[in-house]
Amino acid sequence: MLKYIVRRILHLIPVIIVISVLIFGIIQLAPGDPVGANLDPKATAEQRQAERERLGLNDPIHIQYLKWAGRSIKGDFGDSYIYKRPVKDVIPKFMWNSFLLNIVVYLFAFAISIPIGIICATKQYSKVDNFWTVFSIIGISMPSFFFGLLLIYFFSIKFKIFPINGMVTPGKNAIGFARVKDILYHMVLPAIVLTIGSMASLVRYTRTSTLEVINQDYIRTARSKGLEEKVVIYKHAFRNALIPIVTIVGFQIPGLFSGAVILEKVFIWPGIGNIMMDSITMRDYNLMMALNMFFALLTLLGNLFADIGYALVDPRIKVE
Amino acid sequence: MKRKLCLILSLVLVLTALMAGCSKNEQPVDSEGEQGEKQEDVSNANNPAAKRDSASDTLVVGMSETKGDFMPVYSSTTYDGYVVDLIFDRLYSNDKEGNPIPQLAEKWETSDDHLTYTFYLRKDVKFSDDTPLTANDVEFTYLSMCDPNYDGRYLSYVSGLKGYEAYHDGDAEKVEGIKVIDDHTISFTFNEALSTNFWYTEIPVMPKHIYNFEKGDIKTLKAKMQKPIGSGPYKLTKYEEKQYIEFEANENYFLNAPKVPKLILKFTTAETMMSELEAGTTDVQLQVPPRSEHKEIVENAGFLNIVEFPDNGYGYMGINHRDPRLADKNVRQALMYGFNRQQFADVYYQGYATACNVPISTVSWAYTEDINKYEYNPEKAIELLEASGWKPGADGIREKDGKRLDFVWDTYTESKYVEALIPMLKADWEKIGVKVEANLMDFNALVEKVYEKREFDMYNMAWDLSIDPDAYDLFHTSVDVPSGNNAPGFRNEENDRLLEEGRREFDQDKRAEIYKEWGKLVNDELPYLFLTSNLHWDVVNNRVKNFNTSPFQKFNNREVLLDIELQ
Repeated sequence: MLKYIVRRILHLIPVIIVISVLIFGIIQLAPGDPVGANLDPKATAEQRQAERERLGLNDPIHIQYLKWAGRSIKGDFGDSYIYKRPVKDVIPKFMWNSFLLNIVVYLFAFAISIPIGIICATKQYSKVDNFWTVFSIIGISMPSFFFGLLLIYFFSIKFKIFPINGMVTPGKNAIGFARVKDILYHMVLPAIVLTIGSMASLVRYTRTSTLEVINQDYIRTARSKGLEEKVVIYKHAFRNALIPIVTIVGFQIPGLFSGAVILEKVFIWPGIGNIMMDSITMRDYNLMMALNMFFALLTLLGNLFADIGYALVDPRIKVE
Repeated sequence: MKRKLCLILSLVLVLTALMAGCSKNEQPVDSEGEQGEKQEDVSNANNPAAKRDSASDTLVVGMSETKGDFMPVYSSTTYDGYVVDLIFDRLYSNDKEGNPIPQLAEKWETSDDHLTYTFYLRKDVKFSDDTPLTANDVEFTYLSMCDPNYDGRYLSYVSGLKGYEAYHDGDAEKVEGIKVIDDHTISFTFNEALSTNFWYTEIPVMPKHIYNFEKGDIKTLKAKMQKPIGSGPYKLTKYEEKQYIEFEANENYFLNAPKVPKLILKFTTAETMMSELEAGTTDVQLQVPPRSEHKEIVENAGFLNIVEFPDNGYGYMGINHRDPRLADKNVRQALMYGFNRQQFADVYYQGYATACNVPISTVSWAYTEDINKYEYNPEKAIELLEASGWKPGADGIREKDGKRLDFVWDTYTESKYVEALIPMLKADWEKIGVKVEANLMDFNALVEKVYEKREFDMYNMAWDLSIDPDAYDLFHTSVDVPSGNNAPGFRNEENDRLLEEGRREFDQDKRAEIYKEWGKLVNDELPYLFLTSNLHWDVVNNRVKNFNTSPFQKFNNREVLLDIELQ
């Protein structure tokens, strides 16, 4: 098992290099550059030229890439042009804000969706199943910004239950438990939007994979040998139905850190989706590269965990 | 199953109808609006902002987010600029008309050769840590912009100073043009005598003992960006990135302590800025887009008011003067006459904007009414095109010598302004036989296409106007170079002469004459097709008194800020 994991990790290295070349190339190919980010809009041609030189944008692209790669291996991702600070000082705080919101969302989403999915599968075409089918369709098709604004309209403006946006109440400066409470209070609306969004697909996924398993021969065998329905479902079917779900859990790991661009804008949640958008519009190359590489790495790790997870839950997968 | 689905769908429908109903309820505007105004002085009973925790001593101002560059020499957006101005002081500020008035400097004088400005500082100014502010601090602030590794945006403020090169590129220890005469006197000497130089001395002053760094070691300075300490009326107490900034009044401020003890700048977005005002989570929202649905909200709330004034800026259509079709003045004028700009202003801004005809603020001393208004006149447009020999082709598009008036207009995505402009411009110009195709791209890509590659027929953007009417950096022939600001390639000798003369003249009345003449010239020659100037709205809760912003005085101006009171 250990050998398998080590080999898989070694496989990641060439993949990461290829990804970094691709991302770097695509980012540089996009028209526009960060020269304007720090300059006066009325800056002269010489000033713009000097800025371009300073940022190293006049080098040929492969030199720029090698310079970037050389620095990044040493852990120096350069300065963000927008924030005028090293990239590695900019990212963490926003990342943890996104993580905080997403971990809550995921815990809820999984805790609610998996049981619902199983119930829907066991009672296929029942009222319950139909209800959740419609729920999923609505959940998947409802744009998150619209749903977010809807919740704000009702719960913040009409009924004044929850704050409109932000992560803490300005001027309150609560500390300790009061601060946790304040953050949770601000988290409710964005969390509802995100949870319903991810629940929708999770319910469908669980339902489908459970259904598939339930229709297998060995389930019929289990039933025919007189096992209780509960034992059949939760002992025999569930573990097998879990396999595709493990993949999703793995795939969702990068999402934990990456945040939701649109939703974070609507709720002014100071997360990473928010700065991702800024870095793209301002062509903040260093920040964009660092973020994209970080997400790429997370996705690869997510895949890795999913594979390891497979090996654990599915005895048919043999590790050599 | 089908029936259940129907039930749920109909529920959704009912819900939607209910919501539509809710928004309808808010519509009868006029009657309720008037009522709201009458209630103004009654009480705060219906005012949600007054019920907020600690509302009595805290003013919450909503605005777009800051980048966190809270340092005079590095601040890069309008909003970071507001923060800087709350914490730091300038040598001088300006009055309602845009004339400089004393702030840190009690008085100043200009040398006879107009090269040197000498400022006499007040002696009673202290930074918030009780250290006195002296001429050395002013010198330090300017030296940091001259630093060889300085990468902020205010290069043009120092590059004209005498001895700048020797300090920036060589190993001079001081800049010759910045002279500390005594603790409270400092002078700035420039290489060239230009009346625009005066405004380059306006950077707010930073305390040397806090920000000091070795020449070249600008990283040390930048590291202190988010912990600003200055002499201003407010002290920054907390910065939550992407959310808000909290300030506390500086009780010892040399121009009287502000009347509002606590100030919060809360970052808002277009989607919810009005909701926050309605819910009372903000007291003021800066720069509300002037639109009638916003006015409705203000009137229905009953406790909100609009502070309205002309915005200092204009939208324009840049045109490529290197293109022989657009080098023809008749074509440029025809395009102006042929587009109903007032209709666009009425539709998009619902009347809260006017057609712009000259790149000078209507409130400036340099503005003249004696210009062509280019009122919508398609017949006149056709006449001009015919006069230049542009005849309709088979498909109705005018052509001459094998060239067709068929343009590609490069513009940017995700803008409601552009989305409204596209169909109206296309339809209007089609009537005079001009075809235009919009080519949308992201703003940064447009900037590259226009300023670096300079490959375009036309594009649209906007400029902010400064107090000084000088526009040498935008329209002079010398800035018609790659990356230069005269991307349209407008070249006109008379224009160059007037722009040069305007900078060399020091008498404001004479300057006004020059710029009026220049205004008439560009109004006739049309380096750009001028589009519209809109109104500026600050929406203010009526528990906030004396929020008297105007074109040249935003809320950070001391004359406005120190008067603001809470009720």
